[in-house]
Amino acid sequence: MAQTGGLTLPTAKPWGLPLRPVTALRVAIIVAVVVLWEALSASGWLYRDVVPSLLAIGQAVYATLSDPTFYFHLGTTAYEIGIALLIGGLSGLAVGLLLGGSKFMSRAYEAYLYYLGPCPKIIFFPLMIMWFGVGPGSKVAMGAISCFFPVALNVAGGMREIDKVLIRVGKSFRANTWQMVTKIYLPAMRHPVINGVRLGLGVALIGTLLAETKLSNRGIGFLVIQAYSIFNMPQMYALLIILFVISIGANTVIGRFGGLDEIRRS
Amino acid sequence: MPAVPFERIDANAPKTARRDPILVVDDIVKRFETPDGVLTAVDHVSLSIAPGEFVGVIGPSGCGKSTLFNVIGGLLDGYEGTVRVAGERVRGPHPAVGMIFQEESTFPWRNVIDNVAFPLEIAGLPKAERYERARRFVKLVGLDGFERRYPAELSGGMRQRVSMARTLAAQPKILLMDEPFAALDEQTRLLLGDKVLQIQQQLKQTTLLITHNITEAVQLSDRIVVMTYRPGKVKRVVEISLPRPRSSEIVSSEAFGRYVAQIWSDLREEASRGLDDEESRKLREADTR
Repeated sequence: MAQTGGLTLPTAKPWGLPLRPVTALRVAIIVAVVVLWEALSASGWLYRDVVPSLLAIGQAVYATLSDPTFYFHLGTTAYEIGIALLIGGLSGLAVGLLLGGSKFMSRAYEAYLYYLGPCPKIIFFPLMIMWFGVGPGSKVAMGAISCFFPVALNVAGGMREIDKVLIRVGKSFRANTWQMVTKIYLPAMRHPVINGVRLGLGVALIGTLLAETKLSNRGIGFLVIQAYSIFNMPQMYALLIILFVISIGANTVIGRFGGLDEIRRS
Repeated sequence: MPAVPFERIDANAPKTARRDPILVVDDIVKRFETPDGVLTAVDHVSLSIAPGEFVGVIGPSGCGKSTLFNVIGGLLDGYEGTVRVAGERVRGPHPAVGMIFQEESTFPWRNVIDNVAFPLEIAGLPKAERYERARRFVKLVGLDGFERRYPAELSGGMRQRVSMARTLAAQPKILLMDEPFAALDEQTRLLLGDKVLQIQQQLKQTTLLITHNITEAVQLSDRIVVMTYRPGKVKRVVEISLPRPRSSEIVSSEAFGRYVAQIWSDLREEASRGLDDEESRKLREADTR
């Protein structure tokens, strides 16, 4: 670039704010929500304690996080979601590979997945309780069922979109089936697979927690519904905030897996 | 500049290699079922290549040259006739045959060195050995220094050289190339042609090049097989007696020009048949709509 003349790009921040405009707007909405919330809480318009003050919620978060029994429940939920993701994810991957790899199979079965996929899985919950009991088993089943569909559909779609020449390259080097799957199909499908797992994690969280709030004796969902039944509103909000933070964290971790090579390339 | 010997183009030049051939394509017929009936893509095509020879196959679009490429490479079956590599009949991809494809075919998730090491990984070579060999072939195509780069960071010509290094790293006895430079611009194409000539001289690589580019075919080949438009038959075989080692500078020689003119006069008839066919098909499609 030419260095002559006094022409410089406007790098100074507008309005003298220490933040970029986007960041400033992001902060502004949080501030607005906090102010509104406090105003609503102090106004007494709503039924008592339905909107507790942020201080009370903060104290409840602290109390929850320093309570050892909370970690037992957190561990239970994490375990349920982990196993659900493993079962639902692996079976979704297997079914997705089968449907994506064979036109015949996909024409025969994929319609079922399309129609069952968006169905609310909670309708299976009474059945799951009868099959797997009130404990973690039925929650794992709910999470796994929820997770299976998005993973299977994403994998099947992703497999069909693989550049065909890459498959011919693999064949011309005489790769066997296992090598084709692990060295060509799966890496070529990394984006749809990661995307499927991310969607799967979301619905596995929903399935598991929803099941816990319906009928259970342990887990975060159970704590939420317990707080609700004794009308401990700050405790309930505290649990929701903690859950929110955990699910954002889990999503970020999964997103990083798929994004690594893109970040290095760009 | 030394005088370029020019021999009369001989219509009766031998179709087959004079020495013991390493690749023999014998009387291949390949038909496809299409909605408009059976289409004969390759019609009784025979050719053979001696070790170290560079043979070009040229023809208009739709002459079945890519079909021939896939048949020889073992990626297509259900044909009549036989393909033999060093006397052994080809059924499926043969370890002695290496293929370079027309399309972009590098693996975007592997960097240059891992792309080139791919066939060696498939073959189960120990890690140290395959990287040592991959580095050698990356250097051969002139990409040393780019080993850790990903395909998205390279130009089209560089990516095609990665594909070339990857196929060569498997050390095939016969190299098959299907319009490897079709997606590149003319200048890059000529320079890559130089690279191919240089590599071929270094490795004494037996090569079959499928192309529709006359300049490319004459620049690189010892013999050129001209194919007819649908059904694809061998129309003529032209011996290219230009001296080796060659470089892209040869395109300005008088002899080169005469070969190009001769091949174009053969090809022109076929290409215009193809064009007519295409146009009347489009007309029919428009009528039926």
